[in-house]
Amino acid sequence: MDPMKRHIAPLKIEKGNFNFHTDRYHHAQHHLEMSPPLTPYNSKDNNMEPTETPRAVFHNYLRAFYPYHPSGNLSPSTVTLPLDQGDVILVHSVHTNGWADGTLLDTGARGWLPTNYCEAYDQQPMRPLLKALTDFWDIIRGGCGFPLNNAGNQDLVRGLIAGVRYLLQKSECLTRDCMLVTGHDGLRRNRKALLADLSSLVRTTKKFQEVGTGAAMQDDIDYMVDEMLLKAFRIVTRGVRFLDVWNEDVGLSRTIAELEQQSAQHQQDQVPLGTETCPIAEPAPSEADTERNESRLLNRSRLDMSRASTRLDDALPPRPVSVTTKRISISHRVSCSAPAAAVRNPNLASERLNAAYDAFLGVLGSFIGLHLHSRSSTELVVTTEQAVRSCRALLTVVEATCEHDPQGSGLLEHARDTMYERLSELVYAARDAFRPAHSPDDELVFLPDEGKRLVDAATDCVRAAGNCLAKARLMLEQCGDFELEAMPQDVAPVAPVAASPLPDANKTPKSPKTSTFAGDQPPRSQEASLRLPPPPIQIPKTNNRYSPPTPGLTEDNTPSSFQSFQSRGGAGTPVTANTDQSSFPSTFCTDQSSFPSTINTDMSSFPSTTNLCTSLDKLSFSSHDTQPIEATPHRDSQPKSEFGESFGRGVTSNGSSFTFNSRLRDSEMSGVSQTSTRATSPDIGNHYQVPSLKGSISHSTLAEENEETEANILEKTYAHELIFKDGAVMGGSLRALVEKLTAHQSTPDALFVSTFYLTFRLFATPLDFAETLVDRFNYIGDTPHAAGPVRLRVYNVFKGWLESHWRHDCDNNTLEYIVHFANTTLMYNLPSAGRRLAELAEKVSMVHGPVVPRLVSSMGKTNTATAQYVHPDTPLPPPILGKKEINLLKQWKNGDGTITILDFDPMELARQFTIKESRIFCTILPEELLATEWMKKSGSLAVNVRAMSTLSTDLAHLVADSILQLEEPKKRAAIIKHWVKIANKCLELSNYDSLMAIICSLNSSMISRLKRTWEVVSQKTKTILEFLRGIVDVSRNYAVLRQRLQNHVPPCLPFVGTYLTDLTFVDHGNQPLRNLPTDEGEMAVINFDKHVKTAKIISELQRFQIPYRLAEVPELQAWMQNELIRVRSSGEKGAQTFYRRSLVLEPREAPQQRNIQPESSSSSILENAKDKFDFLSWTHPSSKAKSVATNG
Amino acid sequence: MRPQREYHIVVLGAGGVGKSCLTAQFVQNVWIESYDPTIEDSYRKQIEVDGRQCILEILDTAGTEQFTAMRELYMKQGQGFLLVFSITSMSSLNELSELREQIIRIKEDEKVPIVIVGNKSDLEEDRAVPRARAFALSQTWGNAPYYETSARRRANVNEVFIDLCRQIIRKDLQGNSKSSDSDRKRDNANRQDRRKEKKRQTRRKGPCVIL
Repeated sequence: MDPMKRHIAPLKIEKGNFNFHTDRYHHAQHHLEMSPPLTPYNSKDNNMEPTETPRAVFHNYLRAFYPYHPSGNLSPSTVTLPLDQGDVILVHSVHTNGWADGTLLDTGARGWLPTNYCEAYDQQPMRPLLKALTDFWDIIRGGCGFPLNNAGNQDLVRGLIAGVRYLLQKSECLTRDCMLVTGHDGLRRNRKALLADLSSLVRTTKKFQEVGTGAAMQDDIDYMVDEMLLKAFRIVTRGVRFLDVWNEDVGLSRTIAELEQQSAQHQQDQVPLGTETCPIAEPAPSEADTERNESRLLNRSRLDMSRASTRLDDALPPRPVSVTTKRISISHRVSCSAPAAAVRNPNLASERLNAAYDAFLGVLGSFIGLHLHSRSSTELVVTTEQAVRSCRALLTVVEATCEHDPQGSGLLEHARDTMYERLSELVYAARDAFRPAHSPDDELVFLPDEGKRLVDAATDCVRAAGNCLAKARLMLEQCGDFELEAMPQDVAPVAPVAASPLPDANKTPKSPKTSTFAGDQPPRSQEASLRLPPPPIQIPKTNNRYSPPTPGLTEDNTPSSFQSFQSRGGAGTPVTANTDQSSFPSTFCTDQSSFPSTINTDMSSFPSTTNLCTSLDKLSFSSHDTQPIEATPHRDSQPKSEFGESFGRGVTSNGSSFTFNSRLRDSEMSGVSQTSTRATSPDIGNHYQVPSLKGSISHSTLAEENEETEANILEKTYAHELIFKDGAVMGGSLRALVEKLTAHQSTPDALFVSTFYLTFRLFATPLDFAETLVDRFNYIGDTPHAAGPVRLRVYNVFKGWLESHWRHDCDNNTLEYIVHFANTTLMYNLPSAGRRLAELAEKVSMVHGPVVPRLVSSMGKTNTATAQYVHPDTPLPPPILGKKEINLLKQWKNGDGTITILDFDPMELARQFTIKESRIFCTILPEELLATEWMKKSGSLAVNVRAMSTLSTDLAHLVADSILQLEEPKKRAAIIKHWVKIANKCLELSNYDSLMAIICSLNSSMISRLKRTWEVVSQKTKTILEFLRGIVDVSRNYAVLRQRLQNHVPPCLPFVGTYLTDLTFVDHGNQPLRNLPTDEGEMAVINFDKHVKTAKIISELQRFQIPYRLAEVPELQAWMQNELIRVRSSGEKGAQTFYRRSLVLEPREAPQQRNIQPESSSSSILENAKDKFDFLSWTHPSSKAKSVATNG
Repeated sequence: MRPQREYHIVVLGAGGVGKSCLTAQFVQNVWIESYDPTIEDSYRKQIEVDGRQCILEILDTAGTEQFTAMRELYMKQGQGFLLVFSITSMSSLNELSELREQIIRIKEDEKVPIVIVGNKSDLEEDRAVPRARAFALSQTWGNAPYYETSARRRANVNEVFIDLCRQIIRKDLQGNSKSSDSDRKRDNANRQDRRKEKKRQTRRKGPCVIL
């Protein structure tokens, strides 16, 4: 099975129960093959404008805006990932219930995490870097095994470099002399740390390549790979942090300045700043409802986070990007219609409908989440109230829609009534789940059974709501959208709902922060936050049975992502159920079968880290009750930062030098409860902790990097414009491909280079190519250490092009440009190279044809062409030609006497045919095979390919002609026998092309129908023929023939037709461009993979372009040529002529009028024929079907 | 499990009518970005026709049209034939007649399953073959079904293969017994209805509302 598929196990279940979402999942189905499933409750697709692609976006990166610290016993069978606020996570898949499988960049630990604690991290300046990391991960962990020491690896590191460069460029901090860098201490430090990490990765990679080339131990390689990965993680984490600092220090002030300049009118148009910059904006601050305080609070904290993170977006063009970012974030969120509403009229019925629906789903989601986290009844009350409220909001819209319906909307009303019923069931279920106040415990936990009822009720609600929504939409489509009056209070809880499914976040007390935008926040929300007690979460004893169910799941199906996760691991998974320790890392380690790669990272490569981690977590859990209140911003004394240190280079840092953000620090100082370690217990959860690398920021060992090193690290590159798969380049922009072609760190592989030379004219004009090369020559000058080698490579590419790949028909107009380059830029930088290139160009302009014979340098020759070694002095096999034959040929030459093929030895004839065909075959030029050149109706360059097909056809006709010439069946049989022998000798010579032609002809209807002839053909001949026919069998895509050719050693003459078909299908079955997602939307890049495929097929053909060592007999050749031309001259209708002759020789048994001919008689002929010619039986359709059926 | 039927379908037509696109579109999964025609399964596809699972092995001669001698070899293999022309080229339509004659000669069967395919329906503005012309051809061929497809837009691609497969299955079931012409006509009528319906559907699509 496809490994990807295992991640989406629960989908099937959904289809059944989650009816109203079926469409969406269908819609997403083809994505699912490649990417993890969508997040739950995402119904916002349709909210996007039709111009946008309506598919949900899967985010590769999330950032925690809440700490998540499941207490130790919550679910011992689960590998959960504790999160700190600000942690960045690389997401591998998202389960439909909202849990995501991700890797924490800080530690490299992998596990499940709740997506509702996180928001999509998709900052525009970070995108290239993030993408590079994703690629890096995919290559290293993506199951491509270990072709890592190949060139692709190098490019991925360069992708990261390009990402860092992009980030620095966007933030105007590219050079260390930048005003920003010199002016802001925080920026300077972060920048330095980032570059230090980058150079460390580069060094590791270099080391790895050195090791990779030698015979290193697998363990070493594993270790180094893991190290590289972790370093890459670290770079990204640094980048995130750098951006945070930038946003706070620079972006904020810029935005404020910007705002001040804005006219009053403009301000009206725009949403207030606080909302605008927040990916999930609140509807309006004034609408705050005391009952929703916790949600608001949550919102606020998130607001701060995202404000910090989106600042740069706002400050930098292009502005619309940030809008996109917001919208994209939808797919990870339970609900957030605000951004869309900000764009469209929020009062439109359809908008309101969607918003209310999302809100309701969000609340219901939290109901279902209750089941998982088994929370107190107080919370249940709140949630139920929320559910009722949001449901009412939904129903309000539905009612309004009903009223607008012109022709009495029975359907919608029915759906609405069902909705009411379901809602009341939910309320009842919730009520029953309560324990009365006199119960022994104050904080009550409902029992699983009740929880189940609740979940069922909630699920029913989901379904009913979906139904309602669908009907209402239908209605709206029919009667048109309309506007409702301004949003009433009830409809408001759009954004808060997003928060409600959070299990413990609601309970988290928030410190009243003195934020810059404190004015936006109504004071009562702060009061409310203080009012809220921090009740400890009770973990029920039966918690093993608790799990996060998906709405659509029945209790029979394992409703938990965790359980399905386990079951995916198979029965043999040594997991989890018995590992009851609280330390997550150890739990983690047990789950090897499911996540072997990461776990290996943790186990084998970083034993010490793992231990540390484990002990840390143990420590933290033991201190659960006596959580120290830590009010100081200095963190260097905490275990956390130690951990961070030990993970890195083991250098202790001075945490106090850390300057993240004064505002945040202030708020921390005044916070109610301060904790900042990862060891936080979930109930004490104020985390205005720095989203950080655990406080270790400036511990670079490369104390002072000089300017040059920086320039070298930040080499300008377009590596991010390449698409890789399994280490091979699948696509890329021209400049990125050229960069790869001229990479200095590694020699590009031969296939890449030959593909380039062979096919570049299909995706670029020769002038484009030359200009891109020159551009490459110029921009590498910014990177001193690479400039030398790269420039030499550019020169070499030009040289190779001119020497052996120059095509006078299309490249000549570029010559002038190249000469100019050689005489100016190149001459200036590399004088001798410039001179040589100029000389070469001059030679090219004089000579017609390649300066160096192309065949010698073409890839087929250099790569795999290993013909059997024959000593040059070995005499050629002597022709099998007696005196008699020579005399016959002489007589024929003089015009008297006729000869037939019977006069010659089959072997000699086979040899001469082979020589003839091989000669044409070896002259086929690669460009004849590009872009179905040979199919062109006029002016085709593919003269040799055409000559091949002509020769094949002529030979086939010669076979038919020689048989049909003869009146007597016996003589015809003799000729057939002789041709079978010749075909067999062709096979001995590995001349499949002639073999194919002869068999085709013997098989053709005009020959095979000669019943009386085949009667006298010997069984032995028939057996051989049957064997030969099996070889050229076209079924299963020429499986037999392909198998034979696979490791065939030349000399060999393959059947050209298969290559032509393959090339046609590669050309027509693959798009010329590929889409590469970039920060400015999708970028269409060259589908290089298509050209690689083309080049591979051509090189396969070229592999056989080696002449046979056979002696030519000119007289025999002359006779053959004469015969072939004679057959050809019989005209285009040759085949029909032959068929008519065949009919004359052996007329049909029934009268000629085929059209009136009754079918029965025709089939009786066939019946007879079948008996006699058993080997032809497969030609009959019905018998064929039977034989096939038995095969299947 | 019921044994799966395997059927051989041969795609024929002049060069440049987009045969290979048609086949590639059919065989290829939509989400696979890269198509490799050199492997054994490149031209096999399992489909469901009227509730039966069938494996189709497509034999497409694209690229080897000039090897006229090979043609019969392909044809012998086939149980059903897609005869493809381009609606932008009248000559490509004219070439079909010869191909059909050859097929009938080789299969010795007037009623061999055939579907006529007018490809490149997306290039309506360059149309050189009027629909009526193609339908006329279809009538002279005993009402062989006629479809217009666009391999580029993936329109009607599956339909032609399924139709052909259905014909093969019916023939398979009936063995050598004659299939009545009325049967065929009825079928053809249905087919046209379906086609219209299909068109309506495609028109309706647009930005679809998904929950």
